[in-house]
Amino acid sequence: MTAKTADFLLDVHTEPFPARFVAPALEQLKARSAERLAGRIEHGEIAAYGTLRHLVLTVKAVAAKGSDKTERFKGPKEQAWRTPDGAYTPAAEGFARKHGLAAGDLCAEGGILYADVRTKGCGAAALFEMMIPELLKSLQFPKSMIWEASGFKFGRPIRAITALYGEKIVPVALAGLKSGRAVYGHPSHSKVSMPLKTPADHIKILREEMVLADPVERREYLLRQLAAAAQSAGGRPEWDEELVDETVFMTEHPTPVVGRLRPEHMPLPAALLKMVMQKQLKFFPVVGADGALQPAFIGVRDGLSSGNALVREGYQRVLEARFNDAAFFFGRDASATLASRLSSLERVTYQKALGSVAQKASRVAALAGRLGSELSRIVPVDEAVVAGAAKLVYADLVTDVVKEFPELQGHMGGVYARRDGLGDALAACVEQFYFPVGAGTALPSSTEACVVSLAGKLDSIAGCFAAGMIPTGSADPYALRRQALGVVRILLEKGLAVDLEAAVSQAVALQPISAAEPLKLAAQLLDFIWGRAASLFEEEGVRIDEVRSVRLGGLKDLSGARRRLDALRAVRRDPAFEPLAAAFKRASNILKQSKGLADAVIPDRTKLRHWSEIALYDALVEVEAAADQRLKHGDYEGALKILVAVKPHLDRFFDNVMVMIDDEGLKSQRLAVLGKLVRAFTRVADLSEIQASAP
Amino acid sequence: MKSFQEIVLTLQDFWSREGCAIVQPYDLEKGAGTFNPATFFGALTSTPTRAAYVEPSRRPADGRYGDNPNRLGKYYQFQVILKPVPAGITDLYRKSLRALGLDLKEHDLRWIEDDWESPTLGAAGVGWEVWLDGMEVTQFTYFQQMGSMPLSPVSVEITYGLERLAMYLQKKDDVYDLDYGGGLTYGDLHKKQEREFSRYNFETADTALLSRHFNDWETEGVRLVGLGDPLPAYDCVVRASHLFNTLEARGAISVTERAHYIGRIRSLARKVMELYIETRTPKASAAEAA
Repeated sequence: MTAKTADFLLDVHTEPFPARFVAPALEQLKARSAERLAGRIEHGEIAAYGTLRHLVLTVKAVAAKGSDKTERFKGPKEQAWRTPDGAYTPAAEGFARKHGLAAGDLCAEGGILYADVRTKGCGAAALFEMMIPELLKSLQFPKSMIWEASGFKFGRPIRAITALYGEKIVPVALAGLKSGRAVYGHPSHSKVSMPLKTPADHIKILREEMVLADPVERREYLLRQLAAAAQSAGGRPEWDEELVDETVFMTEHPTPVVGRLRPEHMPLPAALLKMVMQKQLKFFPVVGADGALQPAFIGVRDGLSSGNALVREGYQRVLEARFNDAAFFFGRDASATLASRLSSLERVTYQKALGSVAQKASRVAALAGRLGSELSRIVPVDEAVVAGAAKLVYADLVTDVVKEFPELQGHMGGVYARRDGLGDALAACVEQFYFPVGAGTALPSSTEACVVSLAGKLDSIAGCFAAGMIPTGSADPYALRRQALGVVRILLEKGLAVDLEAAVSQAVALQPISAAEPLKLAAQLLDFIWGRAASLFEEEGVRIDEVRSVRLGGLKDLSGARRRLDALRAVRRDPAFEPLAAAFKRASNILKQSKGLADAVIPDRTKLRHWSEIALYDALVEVEAAADQRLKHGDYEGALKILVAVKPHLDRFFDNVMVMIDDEGLKSQRLAVLGKLVRAFTRVADLSEIQASAP
Repeated sequence: MKSFQEIVLTLQDFWSREGCAIVQPYDLEKGAGTFNPATFFGALTSTPTRAAYVEPSRRPADGRYGDNPNRLGKYYQFQVILKPVPAGITDLYRKSLRALGLDLKEHDLRWIEDDWESPTLGAAGVGWEVWLDGMEVTQFTYFQQMGSMPLSPVSVEITYGLERLAMYLQKKDDVYDLDYGGGLTYGDLHKKQEREFSRYNFETADTALLSRHFNDWETEGVRLVGLGDPLPAYDCVVRASHLFNTLEARGAISVTERAHYIGRIRSLARKVMELYIETRTPKASAAEAA
């Protein structure tokens, strides 16, 4: 390795990128340059940073010269391309030529001819010169464009390329531009470019020119400034991760500007005011310690000026115009009750194959009614609230506010239901119909709201599957995965004993298109929902074999499945457990081989012969009765611990008897004993799914 | 403080110094400055183009009887079309704002992703809306496609919303209060027009007559394409397009009919574009000579 090294820097200066383009482009820049440099030259740390106008790549301590490399290419068998007198055939000469060698340079090893091609490492600058155009071409953006005569494709027009190796410019010609050492600062603050002497100065020069080039630094700066600004307005900024991320890549020097909300706008629903601020203007609302909206907002400008007076005035004026629009729509919505809007839902198509939104609403109402009445046997459910709310959940889709702000669906329904005097319980069901809206966000609060929300989600999933709109890979246009996950979270976190197998077949039966094979469709739906449950369990650290072991009956009682998992994980720590699982798997395989021969046979103690099978039978009868007592109280762990006690009996059984014997009568008895064993365990977990832990 | 007309004069002067031909508005009703042949045909071929102009634009459905301080059924765009695109185009745009009297250090200028698409022209572009202290004042588009054909070289189109810009510069909350110049307000000149045209577009337009005329101009356009004259045929596209907008504002077009109307305009526009390219490219004239 040579001692002489220097840093490399590439700064691609562009017209403003959409915020969402930048972070993925920086990741690609880093990963793809690492791939391209690997094995070709010695180098230190690779980093990428940037803004909406700069994509920057740095490589520390790059050796002056690339590594020499020998690559071996396999040729034909020696005897095929070499005549007995030792001469090479023209084919062999061709093979050598292809790799820039003479036939005599070919190397024979084990009867095979090889071409060993040595490449000398080229200089670092030359290497980067070759790499840059190809690296930039390889970047992928959500959308690319062309802007100049060469037709180079990129996310936004490139306006300058700065490329240095040490103090030397790496010459690159691309998209009508030639690389140089000029660096461009914030366009509102610096009109001329600054010359970059060495890569190490880059961040410092940009900072002096009002650009915080490192996204991590920019984000910290933004958060600090936001908190201080909100404090001056008597609160804290409403946390909005998405808006923070967007702002980091929408500004090069973020500066919060605080403005006030006018008192006449405060009576509008807080969610509506927030939506206008966040979505239409990208402002941060200010909330108090209790989460209540304060009469203040924070806009984040790009750049800096003393006092920002003109910016504040402009923000204020735009916000008021938008609030006036929102107030106009909200006022218009007062002209009709939610109930009176139901007839308009008949004219809104939900899905071509699945009818109007009005039809969907009546399916949801029917399903919610059934779920509610079944649950009411276990927990108190106000079925009148369920029925009343389920009819109205989609009525807000035809209000002016929701047409203008689709994200407020549900929320406005709740506001209007309260205004219509329908009561808090019913309004909450309408408001929380789409809950949970994201990972880790709130669930519907009451049992009634859960029931209505579950019905809506199950109907969407069943309908889309019936119509063949099944999510594939990353494509899930109807957000069915999110809805299935919502179903799973509601049942698990609220501990609701809803039998999903029954609910899914009801949802399928309610669809306007009758499935060719309704049973197959229901099974497919259940697998889909189980998939969400499984991924949730795995995120919590449950092993995949454990998840599989509770699949049977898992959707009949999802909370039960979680308790069964907890039991399994607790008992698994016992060293005797995994050998038991192995013996259990053997039993289960034998049953599978027997193809249901003894499924209907009840073991009869008097027909058993060998002491070990009698002992196993007796042990099973005893532990099953004891386990039953525990299961009655939902104590899966206690039950499983008791069941595990059959282990020595099972071992002795397998040591002493053969199951698949010619004596059909005895064979079916032995199978029946194993069947009893498998059934006893499967109520907690199917141990045949358990994989031995790595030693 | 600049009056509305001074804003127009400043922009004209600015872009004239940048080498643009200041062309005049096209004398037909249209929804946007993109319909002016300087842009529509200007973007199509490889011939360099630099033009700027004020374009009166009509959006019948946006009229509010003169009651809404922000919405108009007829308004003015200031349009710039440049091909090839100068390398410093965003700096040039900033310079034009400075010419209007803005000190950009004192303002927040943001570039918000906003791609443009015109289904009737089969046209698409990539670009931004430009926010001046939160107010959208300009649409900035790199055309990528016209008549569903990729463009090369591409043009950039800068569309200043003159009323928005003037409201911002004059600090007015109501468009009708703008100082127009010549001692008049924008309202003096436009309020009655907004009221009467809203009535016409929403209530009194004779829909049977309009749809008859739509059919007529479509037929005439197809005939003119057959005769090989793209410019008169293009007028038929512009007329049919405005008739469609009026019919839609009047509520005379159902959802399914809508797609059909748009398809008919697009198909005619495509024929006109193909004919234009055929008659204007050097290769075609060489073939004619032979």
